[in-house]
Amino acid sequence: MNRYEMIYIIDTGLEETARKELIEKVSGLITANGGEIEKVDETWGKRRLAYAIDYKTEGWYVLVNFKAPAELPRELERNLQINENVLRYLVVKLEEKRSAVKPRPVRPAAPAEEAAPAEAAAPAEEAAPAAEAE
Amino acid sequence: MSEDRGERRPRPRGGRRPRRKVCAFCVDKIEYIDYKDINRLRRFTNERGKILPRRMSGNCAKHQRQLSEAIKRARAIALMPYTVD
Repeated sequence: MNRYEMIYIIDTGLEETARKELIEKVSGLITANGGEIEKVDETWGKRRLAYAIDYKTEGWYVLVNFKAPAELPRELERNLQINENVLRYLVVKLEEKRSAVKPRPVRPAAPAEEAAPAEAAAPAEEAAPAAEAE
Repeated sequence: MSEDRGERRPRPRGGRRPRRKVCAFCVDKIEYIDYKDINRLRRFTNERGKILPRRMSGNCAKHQRQLSEAIKRARAIALMPYTVD
C-alpha cells in the first residue's frame, strides 16, 4: 500500500447533484479496487483556472488523499480519462519521510586504535630495562 | 609562502561583493515543497510564468529540483500558468 494524493477538476457546468454523484463514483472506484480513502477535501470548490481548458475558465477542484496498492492509480486514471466531466486530474505518490543517508557508525575503530598503541608501548618499556640489566 | 597567501586574500573591508543568497526553503526548514502552495511557488516564477534560475532565487540544488517539480505539477492542473502574455 502506498499513499497517494489526487486532484481532479470537474466541469462547473455540472449541477450539484451530478457533481456529488461523480465524487461518490470516484471514491467508490478507489475503495472497490482495494484502496482506502483518508480524506476527501471539497473545500477548494470552484476556482479560476490558470489557463483555459476546453474554453472553460473555471473548474471545481476536488482533493482526495488515499492509500492504495500500486496498480490502482493506473486504473483510476483510465476511468478519469474516460469521464468527460473531469477536465484534469493529477495523482501524486506521497513519499514517506525517510532518510537516504545511513546513520554514521558510532566510531567502532576508535577504541581499537587506542588499545593498540598502549599494548605496543608496554612491551617496549619492559624490553628496555631488561636490556639495561644485561 | 603562507605569508604571501595571507596578504593576497581579499579583505572583506570594501563590502562590494554581493551577499550570497540563502535558500528560502532551507531557512524555513521545508522538507517537501507542496505543489498546492501556489502563493509560495509564485514567488519563484517571473512575470511570464517561467521558473527562475538558481542564480536568481538563491535556492540550493536540492530545493530547486523539488521546486521545479512542484511548479510543473501545479501547471498540469491549472493552478499555475505555463505562460503569461
